[in-house]
Amino acid sequence: MILVIAEQRDGKLNRATWETISAAQELAGVTGAPIAILVPGASLGSVASELAAAEVKEVVTVESPALEPYTPDGFTAALEDAITQLAPAHVLLPHTYQTRDFAPKLAARLDRAILTDVTGVKAGAETAFVRSMFQGKLTADVVPLGPAPHFVTFQIGAYRVDQVVKGASPAPVRALQVSVDASVIREKPEAPFQQAKQAVDLSQAERIVSVGRGIKEQTNIALAQQLAEALGAEIAASRPICDAGWLPMERQVGSSGQTVAPKLYLALGISGAIQHLVGMKGSNTIVAINKDPDAPIFEIADYGIVGDLFEIVPAIIEAVKQ
Amino acid sequence: MQTLAFWVLFLAFVGAFAAQVARRVQLIAVAPTTFSLDRLGFRAGRFLVDVLLQRKTIRERPVAGLMHAFVFWGFIAFAGYTLIELLYGLGIVDLTRTPWFHAYHVALAPFAAAVLVGILYLLIRRAFVRPAGLGTKVSIESIVIALFIATLMVTFLLTFRLEDGSLAARVNWWLHQIVILAFLALIPASKHFHLVLSPITVFLKSPELGNLPNLDFEKEQVGLETVKDLGSKIVLDAFTCVECGRCQDNCPAWGSGKELNPKTIVLQTQDALLAGSRERKLGEVYSEKVLWQCTTCGACEDQCPVGIEHLPMLIGARRGLVSNGDAPDYLGAMYNNLERRSNIWGLGYDQRTKFVQSAALETFDPARHDVLVWLGCAGSFDADFQKSLRSLFGILRARDVTFGVLSKERCTGDPAKRTGNEYMYQELAKANIEDLKAAGPKTILTSCPHCVKTIGDDYRKFGYQVEIVHSSVFVEELTREMLRTATASAERPEAKRDVVTFHDPCYLGRYAGKVDEPRALLERFGADIKEPERNRDNPFCCGAGGGLLFATTEEEPGTRISDVRFKQLQATGANTVVTACPFCSIMLKGAQASAQADTQFVDLMTYVNGKLQPRA
Repeated sequence: MILVIAEQRDGKLNRATWETISAAQELAGVTGAPIAILVPGASLGSVASELAAAEVKEVVTVESPALEPYTPDGFTAALEDAITQLAPAHVLLPHTYQTRDFAPKLAARLDRAILTDVTGVKAGAETAFVRSMFQGKLTADVVPLGPAPHFVTFQIGAYRVDQVVKGASPAPVRALQVSVDASVIREKPEAPFQQAKQAVDLSQAERIVSVGRGIKEQTNIALAQQLAEALGAEIAASRPICDAGWLPMERQVGSSGQTVAPKLYLALGISGAIQHLVGMKGSNTIVAINKDPDAPIFEIADYGIVGDLFEIVPAIIEAVKQ
Repeated sequence: MQTLAFWVLFLAFVGAFAAQVARRVQLIAVAPTTFSLDRLGFRAGRFLVDVLLQRKTIRERPVAGLMHAFVFWGFIAFAGYTLIELLYGLGIVDLTRTPWFHAYHVALAPFAAAVLVGILYLLIRRAFVRPAGLGTKVSIESIVIALFIATLMVTFLLTFRLEDGSLAARVNWWLHQIVILAFLALIPASKHFHLVLSPITVFLKSPELGNLPNLDFEKEQVGLETVKDLGSKIVLDAFTCVECGRCQDNCPAWGSGKELNPKTIVLQTQDALLAGSRERKLGEVYSEKVLWQCTTCGACEDQCPVGIEHLPMLIGARRGLVSNGDAPDYLGAMYNNLERRSNIWGLGYDQRTKFVQSAALETFDPARHDVLVWLGCAGSFDADFQKSLRSLFGILRARDVTFGVLSKERCTGDPAKRTGNEYMYQELAKANIEDLKAAGPKTILTSCPHCVKTIGDDYRKFGYQVEIVHSSVFVEELTREMLRTATASAERPEAKRDVVTFHDPCYLGRYAGKVDEPRALLERFGADIKEPERNRDNPFCCGAGGGLLFATTEEEPGTRISDVRFKQLQATGANTVVTACPFCSIMLKGAQASAQADTQFVDLMTYVNGKLQPRA
């Protein structure tokens, strides 16, 4: 069995859980093992039914006062018990801050191997997991040794949420009893500290339409917005646009704004000053439209269109709509 | 009887003076020693112009500075007189009857008049004009001191009118002596302690602006964490501060509405030392936020007339914070880039290789090449600045200078050094020095003023000495002979001249003192320069230094430093801004774009090459 440990807070599922379910489905395709999703916490009804939409064998809820609020000791004790009862071959987790906090302890407690920040699964004589090494300079195929279960945590963004296979009918949900001795919990968590949160998290966007000074007038932002809507993309901008107040500061991309890595980055009238480039260089596909053929943005663009964005963008919107 | 009374007064006041001085001297003595005395000749010369001739005092504020100089020179002139009168009052020896004393006495009269004029001017300035640099509230103590000095001069001048031996003369004499003694007792706890300390502090100030000795990790040095870590020069600096506010007036952070005020930093140091809170964290003494607002432009330290070094305080405290993991997030991202990719952008070195190939650059070989060109992070990766480097290569080739580059470069470590990440700086520096030593250049040429400072000054602390020249200096010399030979050229004197303004980079104008070369180049190649406010060796920073290029937001109310500087450049009326540093160019172009202005930017090398190529 492949066991996915879901992450939720106050009944709200962490999106990365779905990415891990996607990874679990890929792994299941290799090993043929059934998938179960374990969700720890308190009062999990709605989260469990949300997770049951995925094509998995079952959803297991583990409800215990020891799990709310989160403590590494509480999680380790409860999950140690649950995993011993379920005896899975693999335990999959999203590589979140919370996972980083408790998963190594949990694996050590059970004396089992853990592979962290994994980006892919490779079929073969032995199933291997792909992870970066030497600060991203190499990728290695790693095979965990020793008795099951093997713990694997998946890098955020390595799998896509929209590739999760949904079941024809909801998967069954059952509750699993665990016993946790409250006295093992040494931590006394305080109320979670919420940093002033940016309303828009561009780092999670799959597609971004970004505007630069070539947009000329504030009223022309609407054109870029139409394109963003047509593509289902977030709108972003380079520094001068945000400085001028044409778009809010939280939509600024670059070394003095957000760093983004979408699948598609469409740069409209952005010259590509280096401090902008470093904020979006990780994008999968970069398309640049600029009337200056010498603009540095073309140095890193995968597709470059030299021309008037006011002619080109309406044509793209038209084409996308068809 | 009078002698005995004078002894009592003398001992009381001198005792009060000595006790206060002893407390401060003791604080200096227990601090880790950081005094240095290298380059004695330079220090002696600086002592002459900055202390005796009052250069820094006068240069920044000519009228007030000159008035201060009157008072200062007067004090020196009066030293002998005061001593002789003291010896007389104490009944030790009476030299006041000698003929040469009479001559001295008469000679002092013009000095007394000058001091009186000076101190009255300064008194009015402080009490009524109240310039911002002096602080928001009038210092009562300064008023008292000014009145004391005026009284001393008036009582001195009265000696010419009052009949010797008369009661009035006796009263006048006593008044003069009591004021001197009271003055003495007031000095140590006030900013007037600079009378005693500033000549020492100026002499001990490092000859190098922004001198930051390497940390020795073997000795577990991690930078300044608490008050007790402050070195002896910093402690001396704190007690020397005269609160004139030149640092404040010239600070780009303060000048653009941030909280950082270099004068406040010095006074907070003084308060923390006197409060005896040796374990107090510097992040609390100064506030962490403020420490990260410094661009390391060096204006405060360079302008200070009493020899205070602000950068070792600010960057030393940053080192302490970084050692404890307390750097701002945006620096964390930059440090990651330096660690993983050895450059500030976090870009792959294949991009540098691409540029090196497309610009047909050879790998440096001392047998074949005159100079090694150091590209730097901007030159290696910033397509915009690479245009400037291509211009430089064009000029070098046109003048038959042979040059090569290193096959691999890392960041010099400047942003790590100035933000207090000393460990990362040393890793980068040591690796670069190894490569440079292996390549063996005699002269390194670069277009980045930050690289000039780091390779030239900071690498010397690892024992690596090399001549490193900024392109403006190198090309100025290279083209000096040209115009003489090209005077026949028809396009020359009659040709239409460009109107430009030149933005001095802090690390070129202030740190390296190279202000004439870029101007000579511009004028030689057809530009008339409209000087902006804050120019030459005291420019207003672009806002990029000290890691602030990477700041996600300048959080304080007020505008960005780059916006303030851009407005100053715009105000010259010249529509072309010439820059000579990749980071100034990035910041100012950003400000220009945000201001929606049509100002043109051109790099100095591109400007020169543009004028040179048609002829060549």
